[in-house]
Amino acid sequence: MTVTLTIDGRQATVPKGTLIVEAAKQVGIEIPVFCYHPKLEPVGMCRMCLVTVGTPLVNRATGQSQLDADGLPIIRWFPKPQTACTMSVSEGMVVITDSQEVAADRKAILEFLLTSHPLDCPVCDKGGECPLQDLTYRHGPGVSRFDYDSKHHSAKRYPLGDLIVLDRERCILCARCTRFQSEIAQDPVLAIENRGRDARIVSYSNPVFDSHYSGNTTDICPVGALTSRDFRFHARAWELTNIPSLCNHCGVGCNTVLSTRRGQIARIMPRQNETVNEVWICDKGRFGHHFNSSPYRLTMPLIRRDGELVEASWDDALQHVASRLTSIIEAHGSDSIGGIAGACLPNEDLYLFQKFLREVIGTHNVDHRVGLSATFEDDTVYAVGVGTGTDLGRVGRDTAFLVIGSDLDQEAPILYLRVAGAARHGATLITAGGRPTKLDKQSNHSLRYRYGTATHLLLGMIHVILEANLTGNETVPHRVNGLNELRANVADWAPERVAEITGVPPDEIRAAARAFGEAKNGIVLYGPEGLGWGNGTQGTSWEAGSPLRQAVANLVTLTGFIGRPNNGVIAVLPHANSRGAADLGVVPDRLPGYVPAERPGLNAQEMLGGGVRALLVAGADPLAGVTLADELEFLVVQELFLTQTAQQADVILPAAALAERDGTFTNLERWVQRFDPGLPVPGQARPDWTIIRQLAVLLGADWAYATVGGVLAEMAQAIPLYRGMSYEQLSQPVSLSRRMSHYIYAGMSFQAEMREGMQWPALAEDGSAKLELDWLDPPAPPAEGDGFTLVAPRVLYDGGTLLGQAEILGTRLVQPHIALSSADAAALGVLDGQGLQVSANGQSISLPARVDGLVPQGVVAIPRNLKGAPAESLLGEGRIFSRVKVVKG
Amino acid sequence: MLSEAEHQELNEILKKYPDKRSAVLPALYIAQRARNYLTDDDIRGVAEALDISVTEVQAIVGFYTLLRKDPTGKYIVQVCTDLPCALRGAEEFYRRLCQRLGLPPQGGTTDDGLFTVEAVVCLAACDKVPLAQINLKYYENLSDDRIDAILDGLRRDSEDA
Ligand code: SF4
Ligand code: SF4
Ligand code: FES
Ligand code: FES
Repeated sequence: MTVTLTIDGRQATVPKGTLIVEAAKQVGIEIPVFCYHPKLEPVGMCRMCLVTVGTPLVNRATGQSQLDADGLPIIRWFPKPQTACTMSVSEGMVVITDSQEVAADRKAILEFLLTSHPLDCPVCDKGGECPLQDLTYRHGPGVSRFDYDSKHHSAKRYPLGDLIVLDRERCILCARCTRFQSEIAQDPVLAIENRGRDARIVSYSNPVFDSHYSGNTTDICPVGALTSRDFRFHARAWELTNIPSLCNHCGVGCNTVLSTRRGQIARIMPRQNETVNEVWICDKGRFGHHFNSSPYRLTMPLIRRDGELVEASWDDALQHVASRLTSIIEAHGSDSIGGIAGACLPNEDLYLFQKFLREVIGTHNVDHRVGLSATFEDDTVYAVGVGTGTDLGRVGRDTAFLVIGSDLDQEAPILYLRVAGAARHGATLITAGGRPTKLDKQSNHSLRYRYGTATHLLLGMIHVILEANLTGNETVPHRVNGLNELRANVADWAPERVAEITGVPPDEIRAAARAFGEAKNGIVLYGPEGLGWGNGTQGTSWEAGSPLRQAVANLVTLTGFIGRPNNGVIAVLPHANSRGAADLGVVPDRLPGYVPAERPGLNAQEMLGGGVRALLVAGADPLAGVTLADELEFLVVQELFLTQTAQQADVILPAAALAERDGTFTNLERWVQRFDPGLPVPGQARPDWTIIRQLAVLLGADWAYATVGGVLAEMAQAIPLYRGMSYEQLSQPVSLSRRMSHYIYAGMSFQAEMREGMQWPALAEDGSAKLELDWLDPPAPPAEGDGFTLVAPRVLYDGGTLLGQAEILGTRLVQPHIALSSADAAALGVLDGQGLQVSANGQSISLPARVDGLVPQGVVAIPRNLKGAPAESLLGEGRIFSRVKVVKG
Repeated sequence: MLSEAEHQELNEILKKYPDKRSAVLPALYIAQRARNYLTDDDIRGVAEALDISVTEVQAIVGFYTLLRKDPTGKYIVQVCTDLPCALRGAEEFYRRLCQRLGLPPQGGTTDDGLFTVEAVVCLAACDKVPLAQINLKYYENLSDDRIDAILDGLRRDSEDA
């Protein structure tokens, strides 16, 4: 349904329900706003957007517009100006924004806002990109009629937590920040206190302004009231060079603007991309960049001579590596060499890394999965990933989400915002996990299973869906094999039986399954806490053919939630390019593009365990807390920092960081996106892909790649999934019309190009592809009994090498601790902060206890990837759960 | 913090609302009743009971002048000095009252802790000026003598009690 109206004589035809301010935008008319923001609910607080509005006079008898003598509709004008940000359009409406009256209103509102504004533009961080400044210049009075000495004064430097500083004199009380926190971030930790002259923004949370998204308020604040402690007084907006970049801290792939000044990052802001991060980034992405300019960066190649690492030239270092590799191959064969690459490396580097091992060395010993945060074996998304064109920012009522085993607010913050936003707009949200997470507050069905029984829960849901005949009738009959077998197999898994195993009441299983099956579109997000307890290898992260993943795939396949936009699976993988690493075959058993390798090589665990004599490590720290196997003769490490792995290396090759180079990442929804270089490389560091290329050449390969784009061009040829992708295409700014339709005035850095990536299609999108409903028996549920189940959740502010360098986040970094329920704490006789000893696997570790209302009884949680790796050493070799003993002490 | 009895009272009230947060004002009223003001602990207790953030409750306390965060006298004497009342001499009335009670011109709490005197905006009784609201009760068409007599009465009451 559309509505046609006239704005300043221009005709606009827009969907019913559109706000006047948005309709005006469509015909190129800008109505000035302060409190309005397209992502927030309108409130009409600032009155900046006042316009004159009239509607046609309608004859009540006929329902027709009444016409005047000239045959034109008679317009009834509202007696007072209306706020364009709260009023929706109606048929025949006439809006005037360019009259003298409107100009006078704008001027008056600005004069009010400025009565006590400090006007410290010359030293204000917002100066140069400040809506108040811009709109005053355009619509406001040139001089103030108010008495300078009677200005109202308030706090200029009020800390809102460790990250954000509030200047209360500059605040115009538009409530954008408070609404962002309550509506979008779902952390209602900001509010306006008092009223009238005394009204002010406050936060009473502990820690103050406790949110993973606080930095976004500095972007949307239409004045310089909210500034980040990081950027405050560091640079003027017009001195910055703005580079389109990507965040490298998680798999969401948020688009960012790297604003640099004198070879340093001055700030990071979101770069609008409506299909990925909209206009937001999390605080980890915004403040976690300090590693780039860290004094601890490696800047020279180092070779171990007589036990000491000494500086060397690139020529010497590379020659040394090449000759050692050659002699090891000659003596022991190609399979005595292996490589581990981190899933934070760009696609081009990962592609060349595996190609180097496979084609130049001649081995499939290659992997990217190390530690607990390693990506899990994942080809589910290859088959039934969300359809191309999926946009979580636009789904609503007819879509159901099932989030299983994932704490999105910690693991993929901006994905959290988008899923929570979908729920706010009417999507059905089902959360399933061993413990409640922040997302449970928004969910319609919140299922709490015993750790290790996620698969059983899914089988119960499938049982209900089949029983109620909620299968996808369009796809399933033609495209899916194995429905009858699956029906027979899940017959045993009625909700009553599943309830006994999982602890989820049968009614809840039924209700959730029906809600999911009855939706028009369905999306499943699964994360690290659902995995584990697989067949045979209990609780390991990389077991092939996990029953859980099979159950997820079966669920979306039989409901027909595949092959279409807004349907399918998203795996919540841990690293910036975990998706790319899986796509590009940085695993021992698959070539790029999910093609099985004929002769699988060794996985990371096997290589580290002594399976190889020489190991190449690029951008990974697999030896953190692990001792070098005796068999390993030669270790080469490409790194930014002297990590624990690098400390044991024979040769260290200094690598360039993301901000210093270009390349592409593939995000969780399979968007391949490009980032540009913004900083000079420190010392002699080089991009990883060039290091690999040079090594290949030294070993006799005729690799002639000159640019990252050239590598991508080869990938586009060689890997069907990446067909059609090109560097040029990925660098295209979005079209003007697309840009206009998403245009958000104020608080956005439009200095860097908006781009959109390219998404590879999942197998299910090929209408002729047949899909199999395979069956894997669920694992035996974990034994109950003595002790506790140890789980290792992922937390946002963990103890990784990169994040640890961001001093500003210092107080937020999670310190090693063991979280347990208050009932268990009472039973063990410990108070918050007292010591607890956890033992498993022949290891014993003492950590301070943290009583946490969210941890279920019988479970203890130690976040993964913390300083000293306590969870990893207790769980060992890629396990995700374990039974542990816990005593006081 | 809310006492056991207060919690029970609150739970009764909660039954009337589909959404817990809607009960925030009655909850704060209960929490404030015993002492005439709210401590940070009281506010946290209300936030927890209603499952909303402490910041939201603090902001509500800040918005309503009848919810207080500072200790007050036993009787809170509010005098309207808003424009219509000011036109009929309420400002002078207020100043004189403060003077007689030995308080600074902007008001405050008497040394005996009995009266807190403050100027407020419109109490919606502009036709009965000067007026005061004392612990939610209105006293209208006042003169200096009348208000003194009323305060004396209250003083006696509290001595008797
Ligand atoms: S701090 Fe900024 S965003 Fe928040 S109310 Fe004030 S002006 Fe608006
Ligand atoms: S959500 Fe992930 S990708 Fe986005 S800014 Fe945060 S850490 Fe970076
Ligand atoms: S009232 Fe419309 S923008 Fe603020
Ligand atoms: S102005 Fe004083 S009661 Fe209304």
